[in-house]
Amino acid sequence: MKPTRMNKTTALQALTSAALAIPGLAAAEVQTEYLYAHYQEADLPASKGVGQSSERYEINSHRFRLTSPLGEATAALNLTLESMSGASPWYIMPDANGKLTQIMSGASISEERADVEATLAYPVGDVQVAVSLGYSKEDDYEAVNGGAEFEHTPEGQAYSFSGGIGYSYDRLEPTVGRSSLDVIRKADRDSLNVYGGVSFILGPQTVLQTSLGYALGDGYLSDPYKRAYIQSQTDHIPDNRPGERSSWTASARLRHYVAPLGAALHADYRYYDDEWEVTAHTLDIAWHQTFADTWRLTPSLRYYSQSQAYFYAPFYQNVRADGLASSDYRLSPYGALSLRLDLRKAIGAWELGGGIERYEASADYALESVKVENPGLVEYLALSFKLAYRF
Amino acid sequence: MKQLITASGMLLLLALTGCVPVKAWERGDLARPEMAFEPDPMLAGYRRHVEFSKEAASGGPVLSGGGCGCN
Repeated sequence: MKPTRMNKTTALQALTSAALAIPGLAAAEVQTEYLYAHYQEADLPASKGVGQSSERYEINSHRFRLTSPLGEATAALNLTLESMSGASPWYIMPDANGKLTQIMSGASISEERADVEATLAYPVGDVQVAVSLGYSKEDDYEAVNGGAEFEHTPEGQAYSFSGGIGYSYDRLEPTVGRSSLDVIRKADRDSLNVYGGVSFILGPQTVLQTSLGYALGDGYLSDPYKRAYIQSQTDHIPDNRPGERSSWTASARLRHYVAPLGAALHADYRYYDDEWEVTAHTLDIAWHQTFADTWRLTPSLRYYSQSQAYFYAPFYQNVRADGLASSDYRLSPYGALSLRLDLRKAIGAWELGGGIERYEASADYALESVKVENPGLVEYLALSFKLAYRF
Repeated sequence: MKQLITASGMLLLLALTGCVPVKAWERGDLARPEMAFEPDPMLAGYRRHVEFSKEAASGGPVLSGGGCGCN
Protein backbone atom coordinates (compact mmCIF):
# COMPACT_ATOMS: atom_id res chain seq x y z
CA MET A 1 0.00 0.00 0.00
CA LYS A 2 0.99 3.58 -0.29
CA PRO A 3 3.66 4.37 2.27
CA THR A 4 2.32 7.44 3.97
CA ARG A 5 3.76 9.40 6.81
CA MET A 6 1.79 9.09 9.96
CA ASN A 7 1.97 12.35 11.77
CA LYS A 8 1.95 11.93 15.46
CA THR A 9 0.97 14.52 17.97
CA THR A 10 3.76 16.87 18.89
CA ALA A 11 5.15 15.26 21.99
CA LEU A 12 5.31 18.47 23.96
CA GLN A 13 1.79 19.37 22.96
CA ALA A 14 0.59 15.96 23.94
CA LEU A 15 2.16 16.27 27.35
CA THR A 16 0.83 19.71 28.03
CA SER A 17 -2.60 21.13 27.60
CA ALA A 18 -1.92 24.72 28.54
CA ALA A 19 -1.16 27.44 26.05
CA LEU A 20 1.99 29.48 25.72
CA ALA A 21 4.05 30.49 28.73
CA ILE A 22 1.87 28.83 31.29
CA PRO A 23 3.75 27.45 34.29
CA GLY A 24 3.63 23.73 35.01
CA LEU A 25 4.46 22.15 31.65
CA ALA A 26 4.76 18.66 33.02
CA ALA A 27 1.72 16.57 33.87
CA ALA A 28 1.03 16.61 37.60
CA GLU A 29 -1.09 13.48 37.64
CA VAL A 30 -1.45 10.14 35.94
CA GLN A 31 -3.77 10.31 32.94
CA THR A 32 -5.25 7.47 30.95
CA GLU A 33 -7.14 7.88 27.71
CA TYR A 34 -8.89 5.58 25.29
CA LEU A 35 -10.20 6.53 21.86
CA TYR A 36 -12.23 4.29 19.60
CA ALA A 37 -12.82 5.44 16.04
CA HIS A 38 -14.76 3.86 13.22
CA TYR A 39 -13.87 5.05 9.73
CA GLN A 40 -16.01 4.14 6.74
CA GLU A 41 -15.47 5.23 3.15
CA ALA A 42 -18.51 5.58 0.92
CA ASP A 43 -18.71 3.02 -1.86
CA LEU A 44 -18.13 4.32 -5.35
CA PRO A 45 -21.30 4.70 -7.41
CA ALA A 46 -21.72 2.11 -10.16
CA SER A 47 -21.17 4.84 -12.73
CA LYS A 48 -17.60 5.38 -11.44
CA GLY A 49 -16.19 2.15 -10.15
CA VAL A 50 -16.01 -1.46 -11.16
CA GLY A 51 -13.99 -4.38 -9.89
CA GLN A 52 -14.46 -7.56 -7.94
CA SER A 53 -15.23 -5.46 -4.92
CA SER A 54 -16.38 -1.87 -4.82
CA GLU A 55 -16.65 -1.73 -1.03
CA ARG A 56 -14.07 0.77 0.05
CA TYR A 57 -12.01 0.98 3.19
CA GLU A 58 -13.34 0.47 6.68
CA ILE A 59 -11.04 0.95 9.66
CA ASN A 60 -11.59 0.35 13.35
CA SER A 61 -9.02 2.06 15.55
CA HIS A 62 -8.32 1.63 19.24
CA ARG A 63 -5.93 4.13 20.79
CA PHE A 64 -4.63 3.97 24.34
CA ARG A 65 -2.52 6.54 26.10
CA LEU A 66 -0.91 6.62 29.52
CA THR A 67 0.80 9.77 30.81
CA SER A 68 2.57 9.93 34.13
CA PRO A 69 4.90 12.29 36.02
CA LEU A 70 8.36 10.84 36.75
CA GLY A 71 10.04 13.26 39.11
CA GLU A 72 10.61 16.39 37.05
CA ALA A 73 9.95 14.48 33.85
CA THR A 74 6.75 13.29 32.21
CA ALA A 75 6.47 9.96 30.43
CA ALA A 76 3.83 8.93 27.92
CA LEU A 77 3.06 5.63 26.26
CA ASN A 78 0.81 5.42 23.22
CA LEU A 79 -0.58 2.25 21.72
CA THR A 80 -2.67 2.03 18.55
CA LEU A 81 -4.37 -1.09 17.24
CA GLU A 82 -6.21 -0.95 13.94
CA SER A 83 -8.05 -3.39 11.74
CA MET A 84 -8.60 -2.48 8.13
CA SER A 85 -10.63 -4.06 5.36
CA GLY A 86 -12.01 -3.18 1.96
CA ALA A 87 -10.97 -2.54 -1.60
CA SER A 88 -9.02 0.41 -2.90
CA PRO A 89 -8.62 2.19 -6.24
CA TRP A 90 -6.31 0.24 -8.55
CA TYR A 91 -6.18 2.09 -11.87
CA ILE A 92 -8.42 4.20 -14.11
CA MET A 93 -9.53 3.12 -17.54
CA PRO A 94 -11.07 5.38 -20.21
CA ASP A 95 -13.74 4.07 -22.54
CA ALA A 96 -14.08 4.88 -26.23
CA ASN A 97 -15.86 8.14 -25.37
CA GLY A 98 -13.19 9.17 -22.88
CA LYS A 99 -15.37 8.47 -19.84
CA LEU A 100 -13.24 7.36 -16.88
CA THR A 101 -13.93 4.24 -14.87
CA GLN A 102 -12.19 3.53 -11.59
CA ILE A 103 -11.06 -0.08 -11.43
CA MET A 104 -10.95 -1.26 -7.83
CA SER A 105 -8.51 -3.79 -6.42
CA GLY A 106 -9.71 -7.32 -7.04
CA ALA A 107 -9.21 -8.66 -3.56
CA SER A 108 -10.58 -7.12 -0.44
CA ILE A 109 -7.65 -6.22 1.77
CA SER A 110 -7.89 -7.24 5.41
CA GLU A 111 -5.13 -6.61 7.89
CA GLU A 112 -4.10 -5.36 11.31
CA ARG A 113 -1.76 -2.58 12.36
CA ALA A 114 -0.08 -2.05 15.70
CA ASP A 115 1.79 1.08 16.64
CA VAL A 116 3.57 1.81 19.91
CA GLU A 117 5.32 5.00 20.89
CA ALA A 118 7.05 6.17 24.06
CA THR A 119 7.84 9.77 24.90
CA LEU A 120 9.83 11.31 27.73
CA ALA A 121 9.66 15.05 28.37
CA TYR A 122 11.97 16.73 30.85
CA PRO A 123 13.35 20.16 31.67
CA VAL A 124 16.92 21.07 30.72
CA GLY A 125 17.51 24.39 32.43
CA ASP A 126 14.63 26.53 31.25
CA VAL A 127 14.11 24.52 28.09
CA GLN A 128 11.54 21.75 27.95
CA VAL A 129 12.80 18.80 25.91
CA ALA A 130 10.97 15.69 24.72
CA VAL A 131 12.38 12.60 23.05
CA SER A 132 10.29 9.86 21.50
CA LEU A 133 10.70 6.44 19.95
CA GLY A 134 8.09 4.51 18.00
CA TYR A 135 7.52 1.26 16.15
CA SER A 136 4.72 0.37 13.75
CA LYS A 137 3.95 -3.03 12.23
CA GLU A 138 1.39 -4.47 9.85
CA ASP A 139 1.38 -7.39 7.45
CA ASP A 140 3.23 -5.62 4.68
CA TYR A 141 4.72 -2.63 6.43
CA GLU A 142 7.16 -1.93 9.24
CA ALA A 143 8.51 1.37 10.52
CA VAL A 144 10.85 2.57 13.25
CA ASN A 145 10.95 6.23 14.12
CA GLY A 146 12.46 8.60 16.63
CA GLY A 147 12.42 12.29 17.31
CA ALA A 148 13.33 15.15 19.62
CA GLU A 149 11.50 18.38 20.31
CA PHE A 150 12.04 21.44 22.48
CA GLU A 151 10.14 24.42 23.77
CA HIS A 152 11.55 27.52 25.40
CA THR A 153 9.91 30.63 26.78
CA PRO A 154 12.36 33.40 27.69
CA GLU A 155 11.56 34.59 31.20
CA GLY A 156 9.04 37.39 31.31
CA GLN A 157 8.56 37.41 27.54
CA ALA A 158 5.36 37.16 25.56
CA TYR A 159 6.76 34.69 23.07
CA SER A 160 8.22 31.21 23.04
CA PHE A 161 10.21 29.06 20.65
CA SER A 162 9.60 25.47 19.71
CA GLY A 163 11.12 23.04 17.26
CA GLY A 164 11.72 19.42 16.48
CA ILE A 165 13.50 16.89 14.32
CA GLY A 166 12.26 13.42 13.46
CA TYR A 167 13.50 10.44 11.47
CA SER A 168 11.76 7.30 10.28
CA TYR A 169 12.92 4.15 8.52
CA ASP A 170 10.09 2.33 6.75
CA ARG A 171 10.17 -1.03 5.02
CA LEU A 172 7.40 -2.59 2.97
CA GLU A 173 6.86 -6.04 1.57
CA PRO A 174 3.69 -6.25 -0.55
CA THR A 175 1.40 -9.15 0.27
CA VAL A 176 -0.94 -8.81 -2.71
CA GLY A 177 0.10 -9.22 -6.34
CA ARG A 178 3.37 -10.99 -5.57
CA SER A 179 2.77 -13.37 -8.48
CA SER A 180 3.11 -10.45 -10.89
CA LEU A 181 6.66 -10.03 -12.13
CA ASP A 182 6.50 -6.23 -12.09
CA VAL A 183 5.36 -5.92 -8.46
CA ILE A 184 8.24 -5.18 -6.13
CA ARG A 185 9.18 -7.78 -3.54
CA LYS A 186 10.69 -5.45 -0.93
CA ALA A 187 11.42 -1.77 -0.66
CA ASP A 188 12.34 0.82 1.94
CA ARG A 189 12.54 4.52 2.50
CA ASP A 190 14.04 7.09 4.86
CA SER A 191 12.16 10.15 6.05
CA LEU A 192 13.41 13.21 7.84
CA ASN A 193 11.37 16.13 9.02
CA VAL A 194 12.15 19.27 10.98
CA TYR A 195 10.09 22.24 12.11
CA GLY A 196 10.59 25.44 14.03
CA GLY A 197 8.04 27.89 15.33
CA VAL A 198 7.42 30.93 17.44
CA SER A 199 4.34 31.52 19.57
CA PHE A 200 3.25 35.01 20.52
CA ILE A 201 0.83 36.30 23.11
CA LEU A 202 -1.14 38.97 21.31
CA GLY A 203 -3.28 39.82 24.32
CA PRO A 204 -4.83 38.34 27.48
CA GLN A 205 -7.18 36.28 25.30
CA THR A 206 -5.18 35.74 22.12
CA VAL A 207 -2.18 33.66 21.17
CA LEU A 208 -0.67 33.00 17.75
CA GLN A 209 1.82 30.38 16.64
CA THR A 210 3.69 30.57 13.35
CA SER A 211 5.96 27.82 12.11
CA LEU A 212 7.96 26.51 9.20
CA GLY A 213 8.46 22.85 8.43
CA TYR A 214 10.61 20.83 6.06
CA ALA A 215 10.39 17.15 5.18
CA LEU A 216 12.43 14.89 2.95
CA GLY A 217 11.48 11.41 1.80
CA ASP A 218 14.09 9.25 0.10
CA GLY A 219 13.65 5.74 -1.32
CA TYR A 220 10.58 3.90 -2.54
CA LEU A 221 7.77 6.47 -2.57
CA SER A 222 5.48 4.68 -5.03
CA ASP A 223 2.42 2.59 -4.21
CA PRO A 224 2.92 -1.10 -5.03
CA TYR A 225 -0.85 -1.68 -5.04
CA LYS A 226 -1.64 0.92 -7.64
CA ARG A 227 -1.20 0.97 -11.39
CA ALA A 228 -1.59 3.39 -14.31
CA TYR A 229 -3.34 2.65 -17.59
CA ILE A 230 -1.43 3.22 -20.85
CA GLN A 231 -3.91 3.66 -23.67
CA SER A 232 -1.52 2.91 -26.54
CA GLN A 233 -0.62 -0.41 -24.91
CA THR A 234 -4.17 -1.17 -23.70
CA ASP A 235 -2.46 -2.30 -20.52
CA HIS A 236 -1.48 -0.97 -17.12
CA ILE A 237 1.93 -0.49 -15.58
CA PRO A 238 3.09 -0.16 -11.94
CA ASP A 239 2.72 3.14 -10.11
CA ASN A 240 6.14 4.77 -10.39
CA ARG A 241 7.05 8.01 -8.58
CA PRO A 242 10.33 9.86 -8.10
CA GLY A 243 12.59 8.43 -5.39
CA GLU A 244 12.88 11.72 -3.56
CA ARG A 245 10.36 14.22 -2.31
CA SER A 246 11.10 17.35 -0.33
CA SER A 247 8.35 19.59 0.98
CA TRP A 248 7.90 22.83 2.89
CA THR A 249 5.07 24.03 5.06
CA ALA A 250 4.22 27.41 6.57
CA SER A 251 1.61 27.28 9.30
CA ALA A 252 -0.24 29.64 11.58
CA ARG A 253 -2.49 28.76 14.50
CA LEU A 254 -4.59 31.39 16.24
CA ARG A 255 -6.42 30.92 19.54
CA HIS A 256 -8.80 33.56 20.83
CA TYR A 257 -10.92 33.32 23.95
CA VAL A 258 -14.32 34.96 23.61
CA ALA A 259 -14.95 35.68 27.28
CA PRO A 260 -18.56 36.91 27.04
CA LEU A 261 -19.56 33.62 25.40
CA GLY A 262 -17.19 31.34 27.32
CA ALA A 263 -15.81 29.92 24.11
CA ALA A 264 -12.48 29.58 22.33
CA LEU A 265 -12.08 30.24 18.61
CA HIS A 266 -9.40 28.22 16.82
CA ALA A 267 -8.20 29.17 13.34
CA ASP A 268 -5.44 27.14 11.67
CA TYR A 269 -3.92 27.66 8.23
CA ARG A 270 -1.20 25.70 6.46
CA TYR A 271 0.47 26.29 3.13
CA TYR A 272 2.24 23.30 1.57
CA ASP A 273 4.64 23.15 -1.36
CA ASP A 274 6.65 20.15 -2.58
CA GLU A 275 9.18 18.96 -5.13
CA TRP A 276 6.46 17.12 -7.06
CA GLU A 277 4.83 20.53 -7.71
CA VAL A 278 1.95 19.88 -5.36
CA THR A 279 0.79 22.99 -3.54
CA ALA A 280 -1.98 22.83 -0.97
CA HIS A 281 -3.95 25.10 1.32
CA THR A 282 -5.61 23.91 4.51
CA LEU A 283 -7.92 26.02 6.66
CA ASP A 284 -9.40 24.68 9.86
CA ILE A 285 -11.86 26.68 11.98
CA ALA A 286 -13.20 25.37 15.30
CA TRP A 287 -15.43 26.80 18.01
CA HIS A 288 -14.90 25.29 21.46
CA GLN A 289 -18.02 26.14 23.45
CA THR A 290 -18.04 25.31 27.16
CA PHE A 291 -21.36 25.26 28.96
CA ALA A 292 -22.57 24.28 32.42
CA ASP A 293 -18.87 24.06 33.39
CA THR A 294 -18.55 20.39 32.49
CA TRP A 295 -19.75 20.21 28.89
CA ARG A 296 -17.89 21.23 25.78
CA LEU A 297 -19.33 21.24 22.28
CA THR A 298 -16.96 21.77 19.35
CA PRO A 299 -18.23 22.24 15.84
CA SER A 300 -15.47 22.64 13.27
CA LEU A 301 -14.98 23.07 9.57
CA ARG A 302 -11.91 22.08 7.57
CA TYR A 303 -11.22 23.10 4.00
CA TYR A 304 -8.44 21.61 1.90
CA SER A 305 -7.33 22.16 -1.70
CA GLN A 306 -4.37 20.73 -3.61
CA SER A 307 -2.89 20.94 -7.08
CA GLN A 308 -1.71 17.81 -8.87
CA ALA A 309 1.75 16.24 -8.94
CA TYR A 310 3.54 17.04 -12.21
CA PHE A 311 3.61 13.42 -13.35
CA TYR A 312 0.04 12.55 -12.36
CA ALA A 313 -2.60 11.69 -14.95
CA PRO A 314 -5.83 9.70 -14.67
CA PHE A 315 -4.41 7.60 -17.54
CA TYR A 316 -1.63 8.03 -20.09
CA GLN A 317 -1.67 7.93 -23.89
CA ASN A 318 1.92 6.67 -23.89
CA VAL A 319 4.53 5.94 -21.25
CA ARG A 320 6.21 9.18 -20.13
CA ALA A 321 9.80 9.72 -21.24
CA ASP A 322 10.95 9.74 -17.61
CA GLY A 323 9.02 6.53 -16.88
CA LEU A 324 7.00 8.12 -14.08
CA ALA A 325 3.34 7.22 -13.74
CA SER A 326 0.65 7.58 -11.11
CA SER A 327 -3.13 7.78 -11.30
CA ASP A 328 -3.51 7.88 -7.53
CA TYR A 329 -6.35 10.23 -6.58
CA ARG A 330 -4.16 11.50 -3.75
CA LEU A 331 -1.87 13.11 -6.32
CA SER A 332 -4.76 14.51 -8.39
CA PRO A 333 -6.13 18.07 -8.20
CA TYR A 334 -9.13 18.40 -5.90
CA GLY A 335 -10.56 20.07 -2.84
CA ALA A 336 -12.14 18.62 0.28
CA LEU A 337 -14.60 19.80 2.85
CA SER A 338 -14.89 18.28 6.28
CA LEU A 339 -17.58 18.95 8.89
CA ARG A 340 -17.12 17.80 12.48
CA LEU A 341 -18.96 17.90 15.74
CA ASP A 342 -17.42 16.78 19.04
CA LEU A 343 -18.90 16.64 22.52
CA ARG A 344 -17.09 16.21 25.84
CA LYS A 345 -18.45 15.79 29.35
CA ALA A 346 -16.38 15.83 32.54
CA ILE A 347 -17.68 13.81 35.48
CA GLY A 348 -15.28 14.14 38.37
CA ALA A 349 -12.01 12.54 37.31
CA TRP A 350 -13.67 11.02 34.25
CA GLU A 351 -14.15 12.47 30.82
CA LEU A 352 -16.54 11.04 28.27
CA GLY A 353 -17.01 12.09 24.72
CA GLY A 354 -17.94 11.37 21.16
CA GLY A 355 -17.62 12.89 17.75
CA ILE A 356 -18.65 12.65 14.15
CA GLU A 357 -16.93 13.79 10.98
CA ARG A 358 -18.04 13.80 7.37
CA TYR A 359 -15.36 14.33 4.72
CA GLU A 360 -15.98 14.79 1.03
CA ALA A 361 -13.38 15.32 -1.68
CA SER A 362 -14.41 16.77 -5.02
CA ALA A 363 -12.94 18.60 -7.99
CA ASP A 364 -15.65 21.21 -7.42
CA TYR A 365 -14.05 22.17 -4.10
CA ALA A 366 -10.61 22.84 -5.60
CA LEU A 367 -9.33 26.41 -5.58
CA GLU A 368 -8.26 26.12 -9.19
CA SER A 369 -10.43 24.70 -11.95
CA VAL A 370 -9.95 20.99 -12.56
CA LYS A 371 -10.26 19.65 -16.10
CA VAL A 372 -10.78 16.00 -15.23
CA GLU A 373 -11.88 14.79 -11.83
CA ASN A 374 -10.31 11.59 -10.56
CA PRO A 375 -13.16 9.09 -10.11
CA GLY A 376 -11.51 7.57 -7.04
CA LEU A 377 -11.83 10.64 -4.79
CA VAL A 378 -12.81 9.66 -1.29
CA GLU A 379 -15.81 10.44 0.86
CA TYR A 380 -15.92 9.12 4.41
CA LEU A 381 -17.70 9.18 7.72
CA ALA A 382 -15.76 8.83 10.98
CA LEU A 383 -17.30 8.26 14.39
CA SER A 384 -15.30 8.44 17.60
CA PHE A 385 -15.79 7.66 21.25
CA LYS A 386 -13.45 8.79 24.02
CA LEU A 387 -12.99 7.84 27.65
CA ALA A 388 -10.36 9.38 29.94
CA TYR A 389 -9.55 9.13 33.61
CA ARG A 390 -7.14 11.08 35.83
CA PHE A 391 -5.86 9.81 39.15
CA MET B 1 9.00 28.49 -2.38
CA LYS B 2 8.83 32.26 -2.94
CA GLN B 3 5.18 32.25 -1.89
CA LEU B 4 6.12 30.25 1.18
CA ILE B 5 8.79 32.73 2.28
CA THR B 6 6.46 35.68 1.66
CA ALA B 7 3.65 34.08 3.63
CA SER B 8 6.00 33.23 6.50
CA GLY B 9 7.44 36.74 6.57
CA MET B 10 4.01 38.30 6.69
CA LEU B 11 2.90 36.04 9.51
CA LEU B 12 6.03 36.76 11.51
CA LEU B 13 5.67 40.50 10.98
CA LEU B 14 2.04 40.38 11.99
CA ALA B 15 2.88 38.51 15.16
CA LEU B 16 5.85 40.69 16.10
CA THR B 17 3.96 43.92 15.64
CA GLY B 18 1.00 42.59 17.59
CA CYS B 19 2.99 41.07 20.46
CA VAL B 20 2.07 42.73 23.76
CA PRO B 21 3.30 42.18 27.30
CA VAL B 22 0.71 40.30 29.33
CA LYS B 23 1.28 39.86 33.05
CA ALA B 24 1.24 36.39 34.52
CA TRP B 25 -2.00 37.09 36.38
CA GLU B 26 -3.65 38.16 33.13
CA ARG B 27 -3.02 34.80 31.50
CA GLY B 28 -5.88 32.91 33.08
CA ASP B 29 -7.86 32.67 29.86
CA LEU B 30 -4.77 31.59 27.93
CA ALA B 31 -4.34 28.74 30.40
CA ARG B 32 -7.79 27.29 29.72
CA PRO B 33 -7.63 23.77 28.29
CA GLU B 34 -9.73 24.78 25.28
CA MET B 35 -7.14 27.45 24.45
CA ALA B 36 -4.36 24.90 23.93
CA PHE B 37 -3.04 24.55 20.40
CA GLU B 38 -4.39 21.00 20.59
CA PRO B 39 -6.98 20.57 23.35
CA ASP B 40 -7.41 16.89 22.48
CA PRO B 41 -4.06 15.58 21.18
CA MET B 42 -5.30 12.01 20.83
CA LEU B 43 -8.26 12.91 18.61
CA ALA B 44 -6.19 15.44 16.67
CA GLY B 45 -3.52 12.79 16.07
CA TYR B 46 -6.10 10.33 14.80
CA ARG B 47 -7.61 12.84 12.38
CA ARG B 48 -4.20 13.92 11.13
CA HIS B 49 -3.35 10.29 10.47
CA VAL B 50 -6.49 9.87 8.35
CA GLU B 51 -5.90 13.10 6.44
CA PHE B 52 -2.28 12.22 5.75
CA SER B 53 -3.44 8.88 4.37
CA LYS B 54 -5.86 10.53 1.95
CA GLU B 55 -4.16 13.76 0.89
CA ALA B 56 -0.89 14.73 -0.80
CA ALA B 57 0.03 17.42 1.71
CA SER B 58 1.23 16.76 5.23
CA GLY B 59 3.43 18.36 7.87
CA GLY B 60 3.31 21.42 10.05
CA PRO B 61 4.45 21.98 13.64
CA VAL B 62 4.48 18.23 14.30
CA LEU B 63 6.93 15.38 13.84
CA SER B 64 6.23 12.48 11.51
CA GLY B 65 5.78 9.25 13.36
CA GLY B 66 6.00 5.70 12.06
CA GLY B 67 4.69 5.10 8.56
CA CYS B 68 1.72 3.01 7.63
CA GLY B 69 0.46 1.22 4.56
CA CYS B 70 -2.67 3.28 4.24
CA ASN B 71 -4.80 2.96 1.16
